[in-house]
Amino acid sequence: MMMEQLLQSTPSWTNVAIFFAIGVGLLLVVLGFVTYGILAERKVMGFMQGRIGPNQVGGRWGLLQTVADVLKLLLKEDTIPKAADRPLFILAPVIAFAPAFMVLAALPFTDALQFADIGVGLLYYIAVSGLTTIGVVTGAWASNNKYALLGGMRAAAQMISYEVPLVMSVIGVILLAGSLNLNDIVEAQKDVWFIVVQPIGFLVFLVAAVAELNRTPFDLPEAESELVAGFHVEYSGFRWAFFMLAEYVYFFAMAALTTVLFLGGWHPLPFLGFIPGAVWFALKFSVVVFLFIWFRITFPRVRADQLMEFGWKVLLPVALVNIFVTALVKQLFF
Amino acid sequence: MSGQYIAFFVLALIALGGGIFMLNLNKVVHMVVALVFTFVSIAGIYVLLSAEFVAAVQVLIYSGAITIIMLFGIMLTRHQDDGQSTGSPLRKAFALLGTVAFGAVMYIGIRTLDFGSEAVGLHDKNTEQIGIAIYSKYVIPFELASVLLLVALIGAVILAKKDDKEAGE
Repeated sequence: MMMEQLLQSTPSWTNVAIFFAIGVGLLLVVLGFVTYGILAERKVMGFMQGRIGPNQVGGRWGLLQTVADVLKLLLKEDTIPKAADRPLFILAPVIAFAPAFMVLAALPFTDALQFADIGVGLLYYIAVSGLTTIGVVTGAWASNNKYALLGGMRAAAQMISYEVPLVMSVIGVILLAGSLNLNDIVEAQKDVWFIVVQPIGFLVFLVAAVAELNRTPFDLPEAESELVAGFHVEYSGFRWAFFMLAEYVYFFAMAALTTVLFLGGWHPLPFLGFIPGAVWFALKFSVVVFLFIWFRITFPRVRADQLMEFGWKVLLPVALVNIFVTALVKQLFF
Repeated sequence: MSGQYIAFFVLALIALGGGIFMLNLNKVVHMVVALVFTFVSIAGIYVLLSAEFVAAVQVLIYSGAITIIMLFGIMLTRHQDDGQSTGSPLRKAFALLGTVAFGAVMYIGIRTLDFGSEAVGLHDKNTEQIGIAIYSKYVIPFELASVLLLVALIGAVILAKKDDKEAGE
């Protein structure tokens, strides 16, 4: 546990430099994931629609397509509308992105590779990820554009509605693990993964997670057929890239969190323990990422009123019943 | 000067700065964003006090609450308002007097305050300790608080329902 030793050593400028270097390293890894995550998404979507997807830039697989796209974004003119609220327009992408990167600190990737072993890790993740919505609403308002504002309002309503079932669905896991610490939760899945004991909780969590990520079928804040591009309609260049980056960093974080909570983190399947934990984590993580892409290409977007009704009238009661049953089972059988 | 002291100083500065900005800015959304900084840095101060659970809940509750305040601020206020300062000099003088008096009282109150000896083992399993305390020692206040929230919820539903019926007639 290098991190533990570092955190408990006496503070010095060397430590600051080491932490900074680790932070930059993580940022680069995440940027690498985002780059190839987007490419994978486009490729998978292409195959599922009987297309090929990017295949021009960077060889037959389009390996440099996203890199080229990002370069184009960075070189674009940075426009700020005249009627926009200038300071907030500049601040909003930062408020949206910073929490996205902050949540990564709490995620345990393997028993050795993790940054902060926070006692309330799960709660920390959910709490901090809620801050991004403030950035989205701020940006939407600062754009001074009716489509942007509508998108921002939808983002806020959706975040509030789906955060409740998200929290409720993981309470079953917390009850069984007896801890909010993500390490303890993974440790509790040493023999049986929680997806087996908490199937209802897993389904509710998956739906609420997709809604929190603002991905299809719950991408109402940026429904292009009604709102042009939703909350980021006035953004371009690297400010827009920040919103996109925040979205994909959450994609990364949510896939990792699903792996940790329900798929046993770095624990191997029986008899396959010779494969290192990091590989297991990567495999499960990739399956979740693929699942999210699959959702995106399969489901049509829901209507705004259906979204609210589904969240409050279906997901929340199901999650509550799940908590009740879990508590009963734990009392009776464990 | 320890790292904890520097962290406290920075967080306190951001919290106070957020508060001052909130009072002095004119647009509602600007004020709410200033409030975000105050609440988040207060959560940081909770972390310094080894109250991680309270810090996480603070952020969890207030990130939702602030978003709602922001929406209400956008929907229920006038946007062309330039916010001229109102009030006579006499009123301002009274406000100053009140602030100074409050500051003096708080200073005297805090300066001589004695918390007793510092509790040990605060950071050890503090979520579990909070849970045990709430469900064994403070279970009645906890239940009363939940009843209060339920009453507020039902009250809100009734108010919303009444409005709907009147609009229908």
